[in-house]
Amino acid sequence: MSKGIKIVSGAIVCEECKLRGDVTIGGGTIIHPSASIIAEAGPIIIGENCLIEEQTKIINKAPVGQIDNENVQELIIGSNNVFEVDCAIEAIKIGDNNVFESKSFVGNKVTITNGCIIGAGCRLTEEQTLKENTIIYGENCNMREGLDRPLPQTLQMDTLIRMLPNYHHLKKPNLVNNKKN
Amino acid sequence: MSNYITGPDVVKYACSCGLLKPITRLYFCRHCLELRCGFCVCHEVDSNYCGKCCENLPSAEARLKKNRCGDCYDCPSCKQNLSKRAATVGPKNPEDPKATPRKVYYLLCLNCRWSSRDVGIPDQAAATGSWPERENVHAARLQEIIEMYKGIVLAEKQQKMEKDKKKQRRFMTFTDRTGITASMLRKRIGLPDIPHPLLKPKPKEPEEAVAKEEVEEFPEELLTKPINLNEITTLEQRLNLPEWQPTTVDKLFPIHKQVSVKRSQRCRACEHNVSKPEYSPTSIKFKIQLFAFYHIPEVRIFTVEPLRAGKQCELLLKFSNPTQHQTVITFLPLFPSEDSFASKEIKELVPDEEVPSREIVIEEKQPPSLPGSQPSSLLHTSLSRTPSITVKPRPIKQAITANVELPTSNFVLLPRDDAAEFDDSGDTHNIQDDTKLVVWRKSNKAVIRLNITPLENLNIGDEVVVGFTMQHIYVNTITAVESKEPQRYNNNVKVFQYLGKIVGSE
Amino acid sequence: MEMRDINYDRSEYVETASGNRVSRRTVLCGSQNIVLQGKVIIQSDAIIRGDLANVKTGRYCIISKEAVIRPPYKKFSKGVAFFPLTMGDHVYVGERSVVNAANIGSYVYIGRNVVLGRRCHLRDCCVIEDNTILAPETVVPPFTRYSGSPGIQVGEVPECQQDLMIDFTRSYYQHFVPKL
Repeated sequence: MSKGIKIVSGAIVCEECKLRGDVTIGGGTIIHPSASIIAEAGPIIIGENCLIEEQTKIINKAPVGQIDNENVQELIIGSNNVFEVDCAIEAIKIGDNNVFESKSFVGNKVTITNGCIIGAGCRLTEEQTLKENTIIYGENCNMREGLDRPLPQTLQMDTLIRMLPNYHHLKKPNLVNNKKN
Repeated sequence: MSNYITGPDVVKYACSCGLLKPITRLYFCRHCLELRCGFCVCHEVDSNYCGKCCENLPSAEARLKKNRCGDCYDCPSCKQNLSKRAATVGPKNPEDPKATPRKVYYLLCLNCRWSSRDVGIPDQAAATGSWPERENVHAARLQEIIEMYKGIVLAEKQQKMEKDKKKQRRFMTFTDRTGITASMLRKRIGLPDIPHPLLKPKPKEPEEAVAKEEVEEFPEELLTKPINLNEITTLEQRLNLPEWQPTTVDKLFPIHKQVSVKRSQRCRACEHNVSKPEYSPTSIKFKIQLFAFYHIPEVRIFTVEPLRAGKQCELLLKFSNPTQHQTVITFLPLFPSEDSFASKEIKELVPDEEVPSREIVIEEKQPPSLPGSQPSSLLHTSLSRTPSITVKPRPIKQAITANVELPTSNFVLLPRDDAAEFDDSGDTHNIQDDTKLVVWRKSNKAVIRLNITPLENLNIGDEVVVGFTMQHIYVNTITAVESKEPQRYNNNVKVFQYLGKIVGSE
Repeated sequence: MEMRDINYDRSEYVETASGNRVSRRTVLCGSQNIVLQGKVIIQSDAIIRGDLANVKTGRYCIISKEAVIRPPYKKFSKGVAFFPLTMGDHVYVGERSVVNAANIGSYVYIGRNVVLGRRCHLRDCCVIEDNTILAPETVVPPFTRYSGSPGIQVGEVPECQQDLMIDFTRSYYQHFVPKL
């Protein structure tokens, strides 16, 4: 395991996923095989109880031609976020309780607050900040406001925490949970 | 990669109505021995079913429910299916320790997360059937108007029956044809209308709609208040609910899902079915399946050399025989020589309703080269039925941009043998092939070489289309009552190939 | 148009006794829970999540590159259970498609870059066009063609779809040959 990767205990990180650069994974987060998290332009910090499914690509990507060693940009992802199969995330910042459905794309000028749902196949590329509980869906990225934030996937994650270790080699956590800075 | 599933269709057959379709979209009526397509057959609704719950709906019930499923709903926000979701809430009286938590249900769209809670529809105790229905504000008036028209229809029917009963007039059938009633005619020629003694009093007419002059005042806030797009419905959402056409999202209500139909298709000339599916909505089997794909040899483009204007190039076509009978394929020019073309036109011009045009077609189909084929008994049986509609063939509108050198020899296609798929023992057929024509063959398939020459005047990028008439022997297996022998016909099908675009010279 | 040969690297693929051709570069999790009925092709970088629940395919199924077959979950009051995913015979799944369905019938064509949401039911003889996103729990009736995001019915498939798919998957299998 490369030096920059920190996994807080309680996280389930499958061996076959790709972690590059300075990545911190919070407790209770589950990372499925063949997900990739690439901290290219700066560190990526993922909060607690996130669910990251196959083929997800979370990249901290500097804007083209602007790799600036002095002014490193962190990508901070909050807690209870769900990243479904084959979503690509390059956002500036992500809050809590968001759902990124399959094949959604969030570009590197977008800030996501809390409780948002980016629907399957939706592409957000323009510079914007999503309000809380925004739901993006459909071909034209229609937007509506949810009544409530999406329910956390606690039940699914409990099941996965039980099941995944039976089938996969896991990356060993190397940080104790009490690290909350 | 192009195939029948994802298109584009590179080989098309000419339907008897003149349209060009891929073979998968065609039917072959083996009573008329003609190709038919979805545009020239009668479509009949066999059953109504809901695509979501896959249950049949009796047609009377479907009509009553306005062709919508009683149980399934569509999302008013994005038109996707709504799912029923269960939630547990605390018992009715929390003081009672024995009370169990109740299960309640609400509707949720899993695409846009619209839920019945968004618009304040109360959660239901049962999963099915108890969702509140919204009444149209104009329902009463609509009902009144419908009643009135029903009354009018009834009155007209009675009137007609009375007239039939009398039967005293031998003339004036003209009025029946034109839809002008006798009383209207009387009025027109200036005679006073005789009130019929037996005629029921006219149905009560509802109040007339009155045009209002004063309109609501223009709300100033439309100009002053900033618009929140999240609260306003889209045009599409409004049109999905034509009875209410809500302007704000809090007035969106679930829509009953529209039912789908299973339908059978009937040849318009002989009234035989060409396609009849099984009743069950989930079944993919057919009771009757006269698809061209199962009867007419299939032509596929195997390879084609780069196309250059005026230069001959080689086209390899793969033929396969879908039937259980051996067939012989002969190439004929796309359009028959001038005089036979003219004679056909004359035939069409003869407006003889007694003799169905079908008979002529069958005569054409019976070549003198096949002696012993007696007039089909099918002909006798079908003659008793008069064709409902005679379909006039339209001219085929497809420009041919390349000449094809038609081979003079024909070739044999073996019958289809499903077991051959598993047989690796090599090809053991004893067929003397013209090696110039047949390049390869295996079981019921053969690859044929044709020489084509795109026209001189084509430019780079122009589409190259060739066509020919494929004559094949069709064995009709509808067992004739008197003659046990299956009938053999020469069937002609016009086939067009879209070969691609002209490329530049070397 | 006649199908062209698709060449694969002989060292990359494993062929089983029943004729399944499976790339070594796939991610087959919980392979003891995956049943391939024979003559199934699974191409490179496809992911089949047998670890979540059983996955069963019929004969002549083609799983293209980077496709994900993932049994869906269902929430109950007491927890979440993953449900088995079954696939009929003669099914084609295009490249980069995500299959989260509960049930896929026979003779189904799923284009490339498609998302089938959780617990979708695809009946026999349906076609999902490229780039379609089917919302969770969608039911696709037989002989329909779905397209768009969210996927809606855009047309019908010909009645001989069954034979077209048999022909398509068979010739795909026959033309899927090792590089010489």
